[in-house]
Amino acid sequence: MAVVHSIPKTWDIFCKVVDNFGDAGVCWRLARILHREHGLPVRLWIDDLATLRALHPALDAAAQRQQVDGITVCRWQDATPLPDDAAVVVEAFGCGLPEAYVTAMAAGTRPPLWIVLEYLSAESWVDEHHGLSSPHPRLPLPRYFFFPGFTSATGGLLREAELQSRRAAFDAAVRQAFWRDMGLTDIAENTLAVSLFAYNDAPIAGLLAVMAQDAKPVLVAVPGDTLLPAVRSFFGVAADDCGPWRRGALEVRALPFLPQARYDELLWACDLNFVRGEDSFVRAQWAARPLVWQPYRQDDGAHQRKLQAYLNRYCAEQAPAASAALCEFWRCWNGAPKGLGAAWPALRAAQGEIRLHAGRWARDLASHADMAGQLVGFVANRVK
Amino acid sequence: MKIAQEIRAGNVIMVGDVPMVVLKADFSKSGRNASVVKMKLRNLLSTGGTETVYRADEKFDMVQLERKDVTYSYFAEPSYVFMDAEFNQFEVDKENMGDALNYLEDGMACEVTLYEGRTISVEIPQTIVREIIYTEPAVRGDTSGKVLKPAKLATGYEIPVPLFCATGDKIEIDTRTGEYRSRTKG
Repeated sequence: MAVVHSIPKTWDIFCKVVDNFGDAGVCWRLARILHREHGLPVRLWIDDLATLRALHPALDAAAQRQQVDGITVCRWQDATPLPDDAAVVVEAFGCGLPEAYVTAMAAGTRPPLWIVLEYLSAESWVDEHHGLSSPHPRLPLPRYFFFPGFTSATGGLLREAELQSRRAAFDAAVRQAFWRDMGLTDIAENTLAVSLFAYNDAPIAGLLAVMAQDAKPVLVAVPGDTLLPAVRSFFGVAADDCGPWRRGALEVRALPFLPQARYDELLWACDLNFVRGEDSFVRAQWAARPLVWQPYRQDDGAHQRKLQAYLNRYCAEQAPAASAALCEFWRCWNGAPKGLGAAWPALRAAQGEIRLHAGRWARDLASHADMAGQLVGFVANRVK
Repeated sequence: MKIAQEIRAGNVIMVGDVPMVVLKADFSKSGRNASVVKMKLRNLLSTGGTETVYRADEKFDMVQLERKDVTYSYFAEPSYVFMDAEFNQFEVDKENMGDALNYLEDGMACEVTLYEGRTISVEIPQTIVREIIYTEPAVRGDTSGKVLKPAKLATGYEIPVPLFCATGDKIEIDTRTGEYRSRTKG
């Protein structure tokens, strides 16, 4: 049995925002959980504070260094002098650490434990890669790869301790209050509420067209402005038109970009959530609502393999008809948009079963240890 | 220098100050066009093995090993001794002999690998011919080769051979897999 040693004190998380919100979102969430739930002093080194501020508006995007929610948030630029007192260094998504910093790490009497936090994937190879060592080729530095994932052989998923209780407290009255805060006061009872968060190459027009033909009202809430050009184009309105927009059964509302906590509430308030990438994808699963995922597009179609790997896991215990409807809709959403016209009614018909399954899936995932807790345990077992 | 995704099984890389032979390298697409390479490595100095993972663009110093054509000469506990054409002797520790021990015989042509003057391994030809010193009597008629029986070589090593093989037959063996290939004439 592994001996659990005391948890090291100072953790540095390094994050480079390549594009979008995923890098910052995951790192900020991890930093918060490590600090709040494990009492660890955490420094988050990030090169794009404006992106992080969108997720947590209390941040000052101009500050070089600030204390937010107990976390030391530092602007990270090439010339930033970096301290060498960390016990654990988390390199998020292969962002790369400065050569001088790595050399300084190795020169210390007690080099920090270096964790390479990888991307989330449902592919089976992740089970065999998680936790493997990655000794530096030239320097005496202990380094390990940590893979989030969906099985107990992986590092699990980020989940705050209070997430389930927050979600449980989000009852009908709170839901109504949420919509009110979003400027929506007149949602009919039989309305299908949909949140739409996707990359801008998603087939927005095709989706809105089939929704407009639905037998029941469909309300689509679009947070942020990424998709608004495509939405406006569908409705044929000017670039400064802020909506709401209506056609047939469809009503589309533009929402502001929502901070992380507020975005969770949007997911809980909706009957169907379109999500993308990693962080919103995970949150939609914790929301225990039907979801449609758009993975980050990769060269050579690697995203399609990741999509299929996830569907294989997600649908394994789902009723065949519902599973077929869900898989077909996801396939259309991710590269075969002409099929959306047929796939949407099938998805709607299976909606009840898909929703039940989403609840089962979330409960099953919650039975695994959460990622931050696993990371703390992983580190504690490797630091003497 | 090579990056991880260019490294293949059989390459020798430096990890810290240790030469590691790559036994297996598996490439996987991670996220956002990034990739990782899982490697099964064997320490050339201690023979200890490990599994590691690297980003596909991680850079490694490659080790060029010296190789010598030799013949097997004799065993002197705990080493096997080989000799080259100039009568230089090369000792290989028993634990570094690997599967070569199954087929070793006096005067056998081999290739030894040296790292910084130290003999670290021996390679034998991919195909060798050996005499069966004992096997159950041959069965006439079955020439399919699908049904196998054990056959003992002079080293004591047993390999599965087809039913038609008999004691005294010479057989061709693939030393990479340890499998029977064919019965040779004469």
